[in-house]
Amino acid sequence: MASSLGTTASAGYSGASSPVAQALYRRRRRSNKVLLTLSVGATIFGLAWLVLILGALLYEGFSGLSLAVFTEMTPPPGSAGGLLNAIWGSLLMTFGGVIIGTPIGILAGTYMSEYGRGNKITTVVRFINDILLAAPSIVIGLFVYEVVVVRMGHFSAFAGMAALAILVIPVVVRTTEDMLNLVPNQLREAAASLGLPRSIMIRHVAYKAAMSGIVTGVLLAIARVSGETAPLLFTALNNQFWSTNLNAPMSSLPVTIFQFALSPYPDWQKLAWTGALLITFTVLALNIVARAFLSPKAQK
Amino acid sequence: MTQTAMNTTGLAEKISIRNLKFFYGDSQALKTINLPLYEKKVTAFIGPSGCGKSTLLRVLNRMYDLYPRQHAEGEVIFDGQNVLDPNQDRNMLRARIGMVFQKPTPFPMSIYENIAFGIRLYENLSRSEMDGRVEAALTRGALWNEVKDKLHSSGLSLSGGQQQRLCIARTIAVKPEVVLFDEPCSALDPISTAKIEELIDELTTDYTIAIVTHNMQQAARVSDYTAFMYLGELIEFDETTKIFTSPSDKRTQDYITGRFG
Amino acid sequence: MVDAAMTGVTSAGMDSAKLKRMRRFRAGDATFRGLTFGAALTVLLLLGGVILSLIHGSIPALSTFGFGFLTSQSWNPVTEKFGALAPIYGTVVTSFIALLIAVPVGIGIAIFLTELCPPWLKRPIGIAIELLAGIPSIIYGIWGLFVFAPFFQTKVQPFLISLFEPIPLLSNLFAGPPYGIGILTAGFILAIMVLPFITSITRDVFDTVPAVLKEATYGLGCTTSEVVTKVVLPYTRVGVIGGVMLGLGRALGETMAVTFVIGNAHKISASILAPGTTISASIANEFTEAVGDLYTSSLIALGLILFVITFIVLAAARLLLMRMNVKAGN
Repeated sequence: MASSLGTTASAGYSGASSPVAQALYRRRRRSNKVLLTLSVGATIFGLAWLVLILGALLYEGFSGLSLAVFTEMTPPPGSAGGLLNAIWGSLLMTFGGVIIGTPIGILAGTYMSEYGRGNKITTVVRFINDILLAAPSIVIGLFVYEVVVVRMGHFSAFAGMAALAILVIPVVVRTTEDMLNLVPNQLREAAASLGLPRSIMIRHVAYKAAMSGIVTGVLLAIARVSGETAPLLFTALNNQFWSTNLNAPMSSLPVTIFQFALSPYPDWQKLAWTGALLITFTVLALNIVARAFLSPKAQK
Repeated sequence: MTQTAMNTTGLAEKISIRNLKFFYGDSQALKTINLPLYEKKVTAFIGPSGCGKSTLLRVLNRMYDLYPRQHAEGEVIFDGQNVLDPNQDRNMLRARIGMVFQKPTPFPMSIYENIAFGIRLYENLSRSEMDGRVEAALTRGALWNEVKDKLHSSGLSLSGGQQQRLCIARTIAVKPEVVLFDEPCSALDPISTAKIEELIDELTTDYTIAIVTHNMQQAARVSDYTAFMYLGELIEFDETTKIFTSPSDKRTQDYITGRFG
Repeated sequence: MVDAAMTGVTSAGMDSAKLKRMRRFRAGDATFRGLTFGAALTVLLLLGGVILSLIHGSIPALSTFGFGFLTSQSWNPVTEKFGALAPIYGTVVTSFIALLIAVPVGIGIAIFLTELCPPWLKRPIGIAIELLAGIPSIIYGIWGLFVFAPFFQTKVQPFLISLFEPIPLLSNLFAGPPYGIGILTAGFILAIMVLPFITSITRDVFDTVPAVLKEATYGLGCTTSEVVTKVVLPYTRVGVIGGVMLGLGRALGETMAVTFVIGNAHKISASILAPGTTISASIANEFTEAVGDLYTSSLIALGLILFVITFIVLAAARLLLMRMNVKAGN
C-alpha cells in the first residue's frame, strides 16, 4: 500500500516515498516487529512461571489435602499426621505481629501525612521506611535474635511475633501515609472549621476517608508476613507439639515446610507440599481481597 | 483605602481587623488591612482572583494554622479578644466562627452523623435532644424536607447543592456566632445557588456573615456591606449599595463595571 | 489567669463545661500528636537498632579475623576459621545472574503493558505479575528444589555443558557435572522472584512519560519501538535504573528460595553450575546449629555485611526513584 502511494509522487518531493525511504521504512518496521514480539514473549515468559508454580503446588499438594492436615499434629518421620500445630502457630504469630505492628505503622504514617507533611523528619522517616520495606528479612531475624532471644535466653513465639511485627510496620506506614495524603485538604479544613480538635478530625474524618486504603495495607502486611520463614528460623524456632505458650518455641507453617521439604522422608515432603499449597493460596487470596478493598480512585 | 462617611450608628463591630498583614513564607499576601465586620450583617469580599479575599477569610478562623510557613501580623479583635494571639484556642475559635467552603465537603458518614458529630464534641445531649438538634439544623439549612427520610444514608449520596446545604447546616449546628462563606456557590448550578443565597439571607437574623465571592451580582444580592480588594490591599469598603452605585475609587469602578478581573 | 490566656476568646456563650472540654481536647491533641511522633521515631530507631545489634553481634568475629574476614574463603567450624568471601561471591554472582535475566524480561513486560496491551488486559496481567511478587519465597524454594532443579539437571545443564565445551573460558564457566542445584539455578529462581518488582516499577515510571511527548514522536511517523527506545527509555532512564537497583536489593537479601537450591557449599567454583552459598543461605542453614560464640558471631557478621550492601543498594535505588518523581512532578 505504501508503494502505490510512492508511484504517484515521483516528481518534486522524493521524501517519504523514495525507494531509499521505503527500504528504510521496511527495515524500521521489521525492527519494530522484533521488539514488539520480544515484549510479548517476555510477558508470556513472566506469566508462565506463575502458572507453572501454581500448577506444581496444586499437583503436588492437593492430593495430600485431607481433614487430618487440620486436625493432627506434625508427625515424626514415617507416621501419619497433619499440620495443626504449625497452622495454629502461624495464625497466632501472624496475628500477634499484626496486632503489634499495625498501630505503630498507622500512627507513624499519620504523623508523616497529618503533622509532618513535607518536613525533614518525614522525609527521613519515609526514606528509612522504604529501606526497611525491602531489607532482607533474615537480618530482621538476626536483630530480634540479638535483642530478644539472647536477652531472654531462649527461643520463643514472642520473639517470632516481634520479628513479624517489624516486617508489618513498614508496609502499614507506607500505605497509611499514601492513603492519608489522598484525603483532600478541604475535608480537613471543613472539620477544623467546626472546631474539631486535630486528633478527633484525624481519627473520625481522615481515617474514615482513608479506611479502605489502610485496610488494604494491613491485609498486604498480613499476606507478606504469613509466608515469611527467614525471620522465624531463629526467633520462634520450631516445635513439634501443640503449644500456646508465647514464652516457648512455636511451630509455624513456613518453618515446618522448610524442615520437612529438606528432609529425606517422602511423607514429610508430601506434608511440606500441602503446607505450601495452603500458604500460597491464603497469601494470594489475601492479596486479591486487599486489592478489591482499594477504591478505584486510589488504585494508581 | 477610601471610605466615605458611613452611617454606623447602632452597629456593633463583631470582628475588627486592625493592621492585618499576612505572609505565605516570604511573600506578603495581605497588606495592612483595616476593616470591621458588623454584627448580624452580611459583608461581601470581592476582587479579582489572587487579591487576597480568601486569604483574609482564612485568617479570621486561623485556618491558615493548618499549614506550615504561613503567618499573620496585626490584630483581629473578636468580642474583645485578639484571634491572632498565639495562645488562642483554635478549636474553640473555630466552633464560634464557622466556615463553609467552595466545594461541598460532607464527611464520609451519614447525613445525621455529619450534623451530630460536631454537636457531640461540645455538648452532652440525650438521643431525643440530639434528634431535635439535627432536625433544627437541617431545617435551618433548608434541607430537612429533602433528607428526613434518609437521615442514615451517606452524606456523599446527596447532590452537590444538597451537600453544600448539609455543610451549612453542619456549620450552624454547633451554634457559631460568625459564619464565613468562601465562594460557597462557585461549584453549584443556578438553582442551588439561588437556594443558598436565600439561606444566607435568612441566616442574618442570628449570625454575622462574611462571604467571599467572585460573582458581583451575588455580592450585590446578598450583602449589606462590600469590601473590594486588589493585590492584597483593601481598596474600598462601604455599604453595598454605595459600592455598586457610586464607588469612590477608580479601581473599584473599573472592576464592578467589568473592565478587569 | 493561666486559663484566661490559654483559652483566649471567651464569652458568655462558653460555659465552664465547654471550657473543661476544651482543655481535654488540648490534652488529647497533644497526646495523639506525641504518639504519632513516637511511632515515626520508632521507624528510625528500628533501623538504628538493627545496625547497632548487628555490629555488636559481629564484634567477636571481626576482632578475631579483622579485615581478613572479607577476603578469606575458609569456613571451618572445627578449627573455627571463618571467612566471608565464598558467601559474598555467591550472593553477588546469583544476584547478577538474576538481573541479567530479569531486567530485559521486566522491561519487555513493561513495554508490553504500557504500549501494546489492550486496555482490558492491563489489569489482569498487572495483577498476575503482582501475585508473582506475593508468593512467599519458601514456595519458590520448594518448587525450585523439587520441580525446577530436576528439570534443569536433566534438560538444560547437559545442553549448556556440551554447548560451551569447545569454547575456552566459557567451558570452565559451564563445567559439569550437572547437579541441578547450584549458583545458576539459584540465580534463575531469583530472577523469577525479582521480576515482578522490576516490572511494576518500570511500568510505573513508563507511565510518567507525558502523553504529549509520545504523541509528538508518533506524529513524526515513528514506530512503537522507536518511541520506546528513543523517547520512553531515555526519559525514564533514572527511574528504570532505580527499579533495577530495587530488584537487586531484593535479590541480594533473598533467603529461603536460594537456601533450597544453592547447595550450601562454602567454596568458590569457577563453574556457575557448581553448588555454592550466599550470605543469607549460610545464615539460614547454619545459625541455629552454630556452636561457639565465634561461629555465631561470624554468621552475624555475614548478616552485617549483607545489611550494609543492601542498604547502599536500596538507598541508591530510592534516591534515583526520588529524582524520577521530582521530574515527573514538574
